[in-house]
Amino acid sequence: MSETLYIQHFNEQARPLSYYLEKMAGYSALKKALGMSADDIITEVKKSNLRGRGGAGFPTGMKWGFIPKQSSKPKYVVCNADESEPGTFKDRDLMRYTPHLLIEGMLIAGHAIGSSIGYIYIRGEYTREAKLLNAAIEEAYKAGYLGKNILGSGFNFDLTVHRGAGAYICGEETGLLNSLEGRRGEPRVKPPFPAQAGAFGGPTVVNNVETLTNIPFILNNGGDWFAKLGKLEKSGGTRLISISGHVKKPGVYEIAAGSMTIRQIIDQLGGGILGDKKLKAVIPGGSSAPVLTADEIDVVYDIEPLMKIGTMMGSAAMMVVSEDYCVVRLIQRITKFYEHESCGQCTPCREGCKWMEDVIHRILEGHGREQDLNLLLNIADNISGKTLCALGDAAAGPVTSFVKKFRADFEAYIRSGKNAQVHH
Amino acid sequence: MPKCTIDGREAEFTPGQNLIEVAKKVGIEIPYFCYHPGLSVVAQCRMCAVQVEKMGKLQTACSTPATEGMVVHTRSEIAKQNQRSIMEFLLINHPLDCPICDKSGECDLQDNSYKFGDSNSRYTEERRTYLDLDMGPVIKKNMNRCIHCTRCIRFGEEVANIHEMVAVRRGNNTEITTIDGRPLETDYAGNYSDICPTGSLTLKDFRFKRRAWYLKKTNTVCEGCSRGCNMEIHQDANRVHRCLPRVNMDVNQYWLCDEGRFNFHYLHSAERVVEPAIKGKNDDLSMTDWDSALDAAKAALVGARKLTVLVGSDLTNEEILLLQSFIPQHLSGAEIVHFGTAGVATVADDAAADKLLKRRSKTANLHGIEQLGLKPFRGISDGTDAVLVVRGGRAELPELPSVKLVGVGVFEKSEARNFSVVLPGTAFAEKDGTIVNFQGKEQKLRRAVIPAGKSKALSEILMMWMNRKSS
Amino acid sequence: MASKILSQKFYAEMEKLIPRYPTRVALLLPALHQAQEETGWLPPEVLEEIGAYIGIHPAQVREVASFYTMYNLTPVGKYHVKICTNVACCLRGANELVEQVERKLNIQCGETTRDRKFTLMEEECLGACGTAPAMMLNDDYYENLDSKKLDQILESLE
Repeated sequence: MSETLYIQHFNEQARPLSYYLEKMAGYSALKKALGMSADDIITEVKKSNLRGRGGAGFPTGMKWGFIPKQSSKPKYVVCNADESEPGTFKDRDLMRYTPHLLIEGMLIAGHAIGSSIGYIYIRGEYTREAKLLNAAIEEAYKAGYLGKNILGSGFNFDLTVHRGAGAYICGEETGLLNSLEGRRGEPRVKPPFPAQAGAFGGPTVVNNVETLTNIPFILNNGGDWFAKLGKLEKSGGTRLISISGHVKKPGVYEIAAGSMTIRQIIDQLGGGILGDKKLKAVIPGGSSAPVLTADEIDVVYDIEPLMKIGTMMGSAAMMVVSEDYCVVRLIQRITKFYEHESCGQCTPCREGCKWMEDVIHRILEGHGREQDLNLLLNIADNISGKTLCALGDAAAGPVTSFVKKFRADFEAYIRSGKNAQVHH
Repeated sequence: MPKCTIDGREAEFTPGQNLIEVAKKVGIEIPYFCYHPGLSVVAQCRMCAVQVEKMGKLQTACSTPATEGMVVHTRSEIAKQNQRSIMEFLLINHPLDCPICDKSGECDLQDNSYKFGDSNSRYTEERRTYLDLDMGPVIKKNMNRCIHCTRCIRFGEEVANIHEMVAVRRGNNTEITTIDGRPLETDYAGNYSDICPTGSLTLKDFRFKRRAWYLKKTNTVCEGCSRGCNMEIHQDANRVHRCLPRVNMDVNQYWLCDEGRFNFHYLHSAERVVEPAIKGKNDDLSMTDWDSALDAAKAALVGARKLTVLVGSDLTNEEILLLQSFIPQHLSGAEIVHFGTAGVATVADDAAADKLLKRRSKTANLHGIEQLGLKPFRGISDGTDAVLVVRGGRAELPELPSVKLVGVGVFEKSEARNFSVVLPGTAFAEKDGTIVNFQGKEQKLRRAVIPAGKSKALSEILMMWMNRKSS
Repeated sequence: MASKILSQKFYAEMEKLIPRYPTRVALLLPALHQAQEETGWLPPEVLEEIGAYIGIHPAQVREVASFYTMYNLTPVGKYHVKICTNVACCLRGANELVEQVERKLNIQCGETTRDRKFTLMEEECLGACGTAPAMMLNDDYYENLDSKKLDQILESLE
């Protein structure tokens, strides 16, 4: 097995500061970073080929580089810990087991972009993780890693945990910022991008939890070292993969980026299909990722290879579906989710998601019509790429891929009224 | 000036201008719902998405500033497909009740559907419905017609400065509303209806009065205060049905206050004196003909020892000039002063009455009347035995002594009771003329309807006075 | 204004948070959480009180509170059972668990038992897909559920 950064530290309980200092070289990367110039830190992160772990895969160093050096308004570092894409649960483990890694990552980000204020926007349901983070933050304040004049460097940084309250859309970075500001979590029109005007109007970098927890490793071992952990050219480091659904051993696993195919991950990490059944489908990157059929899984599990076959790695959340689960029921549930989570601002998403859900629900209830499938494809097409934020695409992609790839199943379902398949 | 190309036409623009505005300048209409030049840009309706060369996705024209050399297609197949699709999305839950909707005929949704939509819908699912909501005295909401453009929310927050109109819940269930059925608090509520691109927010005052296409429009100015907001009078069959704001970026931008908007109602009030009236034997007012009334007026005023003439600052410059030449000739020795708003005697007393439009002077021509040299009324001087009041419909009557009173202009019956004679004159919508607002801007009142009843223009009344030989 | 519903503790917590944010409106989400912890749900009077404290129109409080599913704008039972029925939990039999609770408590999803002890809701993804099916009971997660385990949990509640 290749090197892992995190998984060996995941345990039944949160790792306290003492463990972090002793076993994980805690806050040594911060010390190093405080001795470096902002530009040097950003160069190192750029070298590492670290790409956003939230879903978009945007190069982190480049994102930091967009933050203007001079700003009349305070700058902010915001951690996106909303982890709301169905199928994703890796950030939860990072926060509950290695909270100090996140704090250190945020401190370094703050130093690199010239910010002294950070927020961790954590989804409201993670009450336990929010408490653990707050406890770790308190430890860090007491030990002088947070607050004024950190480690005598003159660098100040305050960190606050801000709880969401049940809205998927707050995982979208501008929706998140609105929510942080005490508003409805509706995504904003871009431009301006958060790098110019983000939280409270100030230049803001928004990074996923795992993205930030990678930072201390990069500073300690160098960008080149991190880049080489990855097996593909553009993706550095390791990836935490959330595996769920019909596998024998669901859970969080860590692999070197681009080192395994989907089939290998299911068989070797997930322990194979539950009940040794046949595979029906894999949703490879959170529920918004277009579905793959059983014969499409010999693909390397990373950003570019998946993009090439028309789907995405997203937040590296792999949901596995075995042969006897009804795909109509499955896509109905996915579509219902996006309909429920659409903020309602923009027309195609507000109207289109509900329309698709209504049609699929009608099919599921046994009242499907032959023309429904083309209608669904057309509605999805009218949403896709035409909405204010990516939620429209997240809703349309699955519908398009399910209908196209499992068209025969849908047609059979529509013909027979209700299908005879059991649900699990 | 930098240039871009829109649908093959070269268009000059000022940096920062968005594509909707640039296209407008060269005669190209990009359809939209949520965009409003007076509000923040939210790019929510997605109707204005256009194809911009070298950009992968469609771009919303409202949020895309033109740049040098940009090539834009508003009617390419992909742009048109999006327009059709947005229209379909917006209409799947719309009740399509145009025959009974007050917005019909001036509805963006209807117009854009006709111009950019498809004639049939593929929607067969159940429609989303909401209950109607009474939003206080000004607005009635029919949420089923709403397309969630959020113009009203932004108007409240950004212009009227009150966060009372909000979106509650989210997604497909989002409802635009006040909370718990509370009435709207702002006194600019009429604008909610103006900016609504559908029949969702309608003016209670106008509902079911007239179809929009029967209304004849006259550009004029509001007489409600010294700002002189630009507005349109909409009338049919000589009856004013509503007033709407007209854009003037220097004066009122896009807006109108409720007081000014609904001010017109006195024109048609049953309480307005629209026939010459004289005080009868029992001190009650009786209607009479013009000749008798003129005789009575002359009898009251000519030969008075000390006459004061109160001229309303709601009159036009032309009317004031007329009086300034008439009175010294025909009622010589009279003192001429102006009146209008209690507590606002002169221009120096006039100030902003709120953060948006309203001014303290409740008459529109205080600044004009002062420029013409009239002094403010400061109280009746001793020995006055007759008073002539000339006013339009706004100037507030001061307390008057029990002497011979003659009124010329617009009076309510209750006010007229104290007068010996009332000669009915014209209100702002019944005459042409010039008024000067607080900024010193000369603006035109324009006649929209003929004078009510037997009312006559001031010039005509004065001419009759001169030509009438006393019997 | 009528006498305050929210406690001294609420106001003390808020005062501690003020220096953490550059604007006062940013207190809204924390305030709603803190208030709900005290009152179980958020009646209009509480929303009004929060608005007055922050200095915003009560409608603004409502528009924000109603956007998020965790704020209870209607009363809930002593035990708020929220079973995740999103994809991963569905694949692991969450729908059957919902039906089981519906039968056991004799209520439909979205309803509260007559004794106000239980409210049952379907929840969107809780981020516990690796330990599906999962549910939240008030603020706590219960994971790797099955029919028997769920029964035991419900039985154990006073």
